[in-house]
Amino acid sequence: MSPPETSGAPPRGRPLSPHMSIYRMSRYSLLSSISNRFAGLLLSLGLLLLLYWLISLAEGARAYAGAHAVLSSLPLKVIYALLALAFAYHLAAGVRHLVWDTGHGLSRQQSQRSARWVFAIALLIAAVLIWWALFSGAGAQ
Amino acid sequence: MAQLRLPKDSRVNPRGRVHRAAASSASTRTLRIYRFDPESAEGPRVDTFELDVSSCPMVLDALILIKGTLDSTLTFRRSCREGICGSCAMNINGLNRLACTTSMADLGGEIRIYPLPHMPVVKDLVPDLTQFYAQYALVEPWLKTRTPAPPDRERLQSKHEQERIDRPAACILCACCSTACPSYWWNGERFLGPAALLAAYRWIVDTRDEESGERLDQLEDPFRLYRCHTIMNCTDVCPKDLNPAKAIAEIKKMMVTRRY
Repeated sequence: MSPPETSGAPPRGRPLSPHMSIYRMSRYSLLSSISNRFAGLLLSLGLLLLLYWLISLAEGARAYAGAHAVLSSLPLKVIYALLALAFAYHLAAGVRHLVWDTGHGLSRQQSQRSARWVFAIALLIAAVLIWWALFSGAGAQ
Repeated sequence: MAQLRLPKDSRVNPRGRVHRAAASSASTRTLRIYRFDPESAEGPRVDTFELDVSSCPMVLDALILIKGTLDSTLTFRRSCREGICGSCAMNINGLNRLACTTSMADLGGEIRIYPLPHMPVVKDLVPDLTQFYAQYALVEPWLKTRTPAPPDRERLQSKHEQERIDRPAACILCACCSTACPSYWWNGERFLGPAALLAAYRWIVDTRDEESGERLDQLEDPFRLYRCHTIMNCTDVCPKDLNPAKAIAEIKKMMVTRRY
């Protein structure tokens, strides 16, 4: 182990080299990881809507009727669709992490491929969920 | 906590000096290179160099040509020019790689060259790797034994046993992987990073080493090992095609299986 090449203090403070501003953030590895975090964040925020619904339920019929009008409005329905996508992505990416934790699928090629699969499967699951909400009667009210 | 923006003194002036080519031809390329001079009051900046790169198959050749003909103050580390010393690791067009094994022809458009990300900069493209080396030293990368060596021969391994350490032992400590890792960016003082963990793995699975348990004890820590969130940037960029992510996953597995 050779000692660091500078013995004395540097003439002035060393700057920190750029990181996020120069790294290729569109790389599959970063994209799939950040998407997973973002999806998790969205889902946590989505819980607030669930909480609002539950509280209104506990408050009685009038409060529930008011909350129901809000929760079934169009902007909220768009948010549900986004939450469905976030849920689907978080689920698929979570399964990918489970597989990784067993020591499998960790080569560059495999993880590149699985990143694409996770995006594709998430879109598929979200599409099924949204379709089900729109046409099965679950979202009719 | 993740500090997404650079500290004030580290922010880069995108309009530094410009060295225009006298005559433009098909083999003229533009390189935009991070510069920092510790002896000047000026902060970091990006200089632009236009030059004929027809004699430069690799990015390192272009850097040497710039240093020889356009600006002799351009500072970078290089030695072997064949991908075995790891000195010329830098961020080229957004990915960490060795300048000597990165082909100019493989890079489109302007070529952007920065020092390895999120490191203290000594000068231009030279990062301070003191902490990186200290982390390598922390995993005690040497054979540790308790039993005496056989008097008449070396400690032998089967071919299969050797193959387990063959790849991890090929690491050249260029720091491409660790400095590509966001976990290392945000927690570099406490998370060991992929390079040091790959080295740790190489000794843990070495059948001649007799202190694997102690090595695992050393790593069983929320930061040293478990800041790895399998982002996969390490394996993505390794210029030697090694797999630090897999090594870390195997260490995590051993942490669990050794309890049963």
